[in-house]
Amino acid sequence: MDLDTDMYDDEPTHPRKSIKPQPTEPQIEMEATQEFMPAQSMPTTPRAQGTPTVPLQVTVVIPPPAASVSRRKFMGVSVAGLTAIGGAGAAAAIGGVAMAKWLQNDGLGDVSHGPMASNTQIGHLLRRAGFGATPDDLTMYRNMGFNGAVDRLINYQKVPDDDMENRLKALNINLNSPLNQQRWWLLRMSWTQRPLLEKMTLFWHGVLTSSFHKVGGSRAYMRMIIQNQFLRSHAFDTFDNILLGITSDPAMLFYLDLTKSRKNAPNENYARELMELFTLGLGHYTQRDVYEGAAALTGWHVKGLTSQYYPQDHNDLVKTYLGHTGNLDYKDVINILANHPATPWFISRKLFTFFAYENPSDDDLKPLVDTYVQSGHNMGEIMRTLLLSSQFASTKAYRGRIKSPVEFTVGAYRAMNINGDGTGLPAITTLMGQALFDPPNVAGWPGDKVSALWLNSGTWMTRLNYIDLLLARGTVARTGSTPLVDLQGIVKTHQLNSPEQFVDHFSSFLLDSELASDRRTQLLDYFTAQGSSARGAPITLGNGTSYPLGRVRGTLYLMMSSPEYQLN
Amino acid sequence: MKLTRRAMIKDGLLVVSAGMIMPAIFSRGVASARAQALDGSRLAQSANDRTLIVVQMAGGNDGLNTVVPFTDPLYLKLRPTLGLSDTKVLPLDTRLGLHPNLQPLKKLWDAGHLAIVEGVGYPNQSLSHFQAMDIWQTLDLNGNGSQGWLGKLVSGLVDQEGHPFKAIDIGVQTAQALQSISTQVPTIANISTYRIYPDPVDTDGGNARLQALMKLYNSYPGTAPYAALLDTTALSAQDGSRQLRQADVTYHPAATYPKGPFADGLKVLAESIVQGLGLRVGYVTLGGFDTHANQQATHDVLMLTLANGLSAFYNDLAAHGKADNVVVMTWSEFGRRVDENGSQGTDHGTAAPLFVLGNPVSKGIYGEPPSLSNLDQNGNLKYTLDFRSVYATVLDRWMGASSKDVLGGSFGIQNFLPQA
Repeated sequence: MDLDTDMYDDEPTHPRKSIKPQPTEPQIEMEATQEFMPAQSMPTTPRAQGTPTVPLQVTVVIPPPAASVSRRKFMGVSVAGLTAIGGAGAAAAIGGVAMAKWLQNDGLGDVSHGPMASNTQIGHLLRRAGFGATPDDLTMYRNMGFNGAVDRLINYQKVPDDDMENRLKALNINLNSPLNQQRWWLLRMSWTQRPLLEKMTLFWHGVLTSSFHKVGGSRAYMRMIIQNQFLRSHAFDTFDNILLGITSDPAMLFYLDLTKSRKNAPNENYARELMELFTLGLGHYTQRDVYEGAAALTGWHVKGLTSQYYPQDHNDLVKTYLGHTGNLDYKDVINILANHPATPWFISRKLFTFFAYENPSDDDLKPLVDTYVQSGHNMGEIMRTLLLSSQFASTKAYRGRIKSPVEFTVGAYRAMNINGDGTGLPAITTLMGQALFDPPNVAGWPGDKVSALWLNSGTWMTRLNYIDLLLARGTVARTGSTPLVDLQGIVKTHQLNSPEQFVDHFSSFLLDSELASDRRTQLLDYFTAQGSSARGAPITLGNGTSYPLGRVRGTLYLMMSSPEYQLN
Repeated sequence: MKLTRRAMIKDGLLVVSAGMIMPAIFSRGVASARAQALDGSRLAQSANDRTLIVVQMAGGNDGLNTVVPFTDPLYLKLRPTLGLSDTKVLPLDTRLGLHPNLQPLKKLWDAGHLAIVEGVGYPNQSLSHFQAMDIWQTLDLNGNGSQGWLGKLVSGLVDQEGHPFKAIDIGVQTAQALQSISTQVPTIANISTYRIYPDPVDTDGGNARLQALMKLYNSYPGTAPYAALLDTTALSAQDGSRQLRQADVTYHPAATYPKGPFADGLKVLAESIVQGLGLRVGYVTLGGFDTHANQQATHDVLMLTLANGLSAFYNDLAAHGKADNVVVMTWSEFGRRVDENGSQGTDHGTAAPLFVLGNPVSKGIYGEPPSLSNLDQNGNLKYTLDFRSVYATVLDRWMGASSKDVLGGSFGIQNFLPQA
């Protein structure tokens, strides 16, 4: 095993290669040509003759190639941009947590919903219902007990998040740019005190998804943020309201072509996906339902950054949709879907897979389905049922999924309390396989369903290199400027007096203190090994002993690159 | 003696405990993993050093505007705005012509290095992207397969030395066609990031830290979640990144590749061939073919991207004396509807042509272009050639593998590749 010794001397500058096409000419889809013009007579584009009247099979739209943004330009920061990951930020001190070694726990076992919760329980909860823990998070949520922690996560309105909002405001981010939109959201997730709200928004973004590649061109990028804010503000609303909102959402109207649908030429795209990917799943509807549903859904059109319903462009013939007959409109369609017996199973399966584990049984889902019905389709109540379920606390769920790129990236940024401007974070998540506001297709990210798909040799090395970047390269390390993570400061704040205390401190909030003793020993061996690593200012522990910088932060790197840390 | 994890991987045998939370492909028991490994050596019955490059055109390429039936009057009638007239297409014969932006491929045709396989599809074609892609990649016509056809092939090619670059997938997520139970295919977004960076303060270039890391992976209990996946990923990355980096230092492309991720990906594949990394199967995806609206501008760019990329790739290999050893084939999950829709686009279709190119290819048009007048009930083309027949030809006549074993049946052989 050997590595080239010159590696750190040549920071890669190549832009990221994308598997998506990169048009050499921009093809901006001008919204003016796509928008509904009330003055126009309709329909303007009747279907060609010979169009079959028999409804067609299920169609799924994959967005057209990067039309209005050059991918190269967009991702041009690539790894070169990574060096600026933290911007000018200095490491904030991690607040005063006592350094007791937490009691280890046999997995989650029977989760105690009592007054005190363990590191394992809270670590698991915050990874799934958020993006992991800082030492402060861990202490605060432990003291609430598991039930109290779940309450706090769901009742997010009671938790002020002004600090995060102010920090974002101070960065003065221009949101009319896909890259900045990604950065803005990744920082929100990193700094928020309402982690489940952001996680739930991410969940919805993967289900009711849209992409900036097909949202109406560069003048319409803000539609993505408008959709994001809608999903956030209604994250725990009833499923009916969420479906109503997304149906008339400007980005979605454009992404799935509903805005192009006309009274006499209904576009089937949204009608199809609404059933296949949002509510029912394959097998619960016929092609006739697609066709009739498309007619019922006509009338909505984008209007700048908003949308408008034009009754005169609604097809008011009698339709038969999923067994219901009448002059149905979009409200009827949503009402029928939200009350369809397949819907609670469909959406519960999505939630359970994302938040707990893959391939849930019907028994696993039944309590969620029951809550859906009993709560009037309230997503917040379903989430409560899920988070308090024995399945969520089971050993099957614990470390039962591979961290997604966003979970990994934000998790480390958050845990290390990085106070940067987030430059480079979008390129990192993209290279790991997940670009926010840019799902691979209308089905969202496959890794949200089968998390092992997030991991391969290339994405694994990107994870490692990101950790290296955070710990060792966030600023130009060799010039002696303040690194992103101030290890000497952390040692002082938390009074880390020995290599054991160092490892146990980071293990508590990075690994729930769930670190087998032989593996802990491996880390300590690395920490205390003699020789090499002469560069950089050594780290002095509380007991007065100094250790080479490379060994100290190398130990932390090993923890955050370990198999255990890849798991969620 | 206890087998080391590495030794198990060498023998193509991964220990995967049952009941773990994994995709089906990683959750099989030891017995079936062993059977698969044995199966693998059978699949790779006659080893050769030839390379197959598979280009996925994701989203459903409009076959009718790629290889155009320009003399069929029905074509322009059904494509009033999108149709390509005889003055635009690059004629191949009296019936068919290439999209005007495929000039570089026309050059290969003229030189005798391009074959077109017409009317490719399968019975009861799915119009769903996801089901159709599953079928093409896993060969399960119900769309429920998990192992990829190339994955099955590659698992039999990984030799005792475990060369990491028997196959390479370009991108950030491994294509389903390359999924297999016993082998993980290196998935490379680009060479510059396909490496593990050392801490600048480590004077040993990161050796000690990397060794400690590999030990953490190697000693990660086999019964722990995702153990097999994590361990093979780490090994594949560690072996591969070193080799690729060494190869990269001395590789000089002999052709000018166009800018963009597709050509960049092809360049990585060319590099691994030229530098002798042992590549047998390369995979690269060009996406964006789902042209429901305003198709022309999008499709024009995609055709150009495809042709210029493949042309540079061919020229690079030819200049390095490797062109006789490489065959490229394209595929897309479906073609598009014959009549254009009301938004200057086309909806999901069925049968479509695909390209096979390279010096070993016998120039010509194989299969039969589907009739434009005899459509199915949805207004789609009726396929004339089973896609598995294309796979069988490539496997038997080029890869020296047993198509019967890989495909699980006989589907006939086409003559776009000569008999060995």
